[in-house]
Amino acid sequence: MNTHNAIRLVSLLSIWMLAAQGQIFQPQLAPANFLGRITSNTVILQQPYCVFTQTCPGCEIWLVAALSTGTGNFNALVNISSPISLSVSPYPTAFLPSSAQFFLTRVGPLANFPCNTAPAFPYFTVGADGICTGINCNGVLPVGSIVSFRYLLIDPSNYTVVNMTNWGGPFNLTTLLSYQTINDGLSARSGAMVVITTLLCVAVALLLLVFFIMLCVSCCGKKDGKTVTVMSSIRIPRYDTHNLKEHVHPYDNQAYEPDAKNYSRSQTLPKSPVRK
Amino acid sequence: MGAVTCLMVTVVGLNAIAAAAGLALSAVAIWVAVDGYKLYPISGVSGKDDIFAGAWIAIFTGFAFFLTCIFGIFAALKRSRALMLVYLIIMFIIFLFESASAITSATNRDYLVGNSNLVKKQMLQYYADSSTQGQQITMTWNNVMTQVQCCGADGPTDWIQYNSTYRQLFGAASLWPLGCCKRQSSNFEVVDPIGCKAGVTSSMFTQGCFQYIESVLSRYTWAVSWYGFSVLMLVFFTLVIAMIYYTQLP
Repeated sequence: MNTHNAIRLVSLLSIWMLAAQGQIFQPQLAPANFLGRITSNTVILQQPYCVFTQTCPGCEIWLVAALSTGTGNFNALVNISSPISLSVSPYPTAFLPSSAQFFLTRVGPLANFPCNTAPAFPYFTVGADGICTGINCNGVLPVGSIVSFRYLLIDPSNYTVVNMTNWGGPFNLTTLLSYQTINDGLSARSGAMVVITTLLCVAVALLLLVFFIMLCVSCCGKKDGKTVTVMSSIRIPRYDTHNLKEHVHPYDNQAYEPDAKNYSRSQTLPKSPVRK
Repeated sequence: MGAVTCLMVTVVGLNAIAAAAGLALSAVAIWVAVDGYKLYPISGVSGKDDIFAGAWIAIFTGFAFFLTCIFGIFAALKRSRALMLVYLIIMFIIFLFESASAITSATNRDYLVGNSNLVKKQMLQYYADSSTQGQQITMTWNNVMTQVQCCGADGPTDWIQYNSTYRQLFGAASLWPLGCCKRQSSNFEVVDPIGCKAGVTSSMFTQGCFQYIESVLSRYTWAVSWYGFSVLMLVFFTLVIAMIYYTQLP
């Protein structure tokens, strides 16, 4: 019983230590202020600085990019200290339905990623080579898929895996929408447009109405119009000679009263019955 | 007699103000039609350019208001019924055209910039396209991105979320156009090409351009439609008083 508990304790401890080491012992995504860190077919990862701390002259760091089934396939194929064939799943055919669903690509020699340097831009893009044809090229991932990554430390002299990190991920790539799916129809009518339209239509209608009222009033209302005083608007020529200007009114004859319009002066024009 | 003279003075005064307002409307509409912000291709390519059509109508109706109101001053001073009737009919016709211009501009603005969808779809479809429309849109967006320091319609994520002509042509090289990258003020070179390509928020512009485009097109629209509306309200009162004056004439 005592040894049983001791074994349990030790295994718990080792698992805890491995887990604590495994929290950073996997490929890390670029920080959140990288807007393009996950796109539909590329991912930006942190370069493997200070990930593998063992000395291994001439060793190289490689990356495995795998879909969900690919992780299982890779785990079944490769273990630590086992040999590996780098062309086990070439990139051009890696993601066909019958293939292994993972591919390997070279990141760089271990000597390039020491612990004590902190470069300015320690990130690299998985998928930077685009759609490429090499066996181990850094090609784009399937659009919208769910991918996981793993760093491998490989000894190129005998093609054995010296060390492996844990699986980083899974990362959901964004699905690419077609721009045709954007609905660019009318969204809503603004309040300003409604106000302008209604008020202007009302104004036009009112104007038309007042216009017709005006025409009716001016056409039909002519009969009982106000009498216009003659005084200020009729011009009458003067036919008097100079000697008749001041005193004599020889034409003030009652018989000729209707001809009053021939008379020139306002005094001679009758307001009341003509005086002699 | 005093009332008629008072009415005449009012008509003459209002016509003078309406003439000045009409001339100002014509000037403002010329400013809109000239398109100093060079955003016409966005509405031209989409086929919804009635903001500018309304501006063109307003140029002519504004000037017509000016001339007709001067004629109206003359007709009022002459106290002639025939001339006043001619004036009223011409003013009413111009009123109809100007209200059409104001309504058209305001309505069309809602189609263009009610939300960012049309501008975004047009950008994704035509930016970097080699057709004439594509060239116009590309030039317009490059200008906007550099002047306003913005990227995409709602933000740079537009380029990541949606497929686009630019992505199909240049997507392998870069996620978004170079106009999205911050540039040095001294020699206009990109500050951090690698960072901009990866999307580091400190090396590129993260705000969307739609707000700027919407504000400019709205400014054009309000110039034509709200100012046209206010001129029309002034003309409405002028015409009502002129009609009353007409009924008082012999």
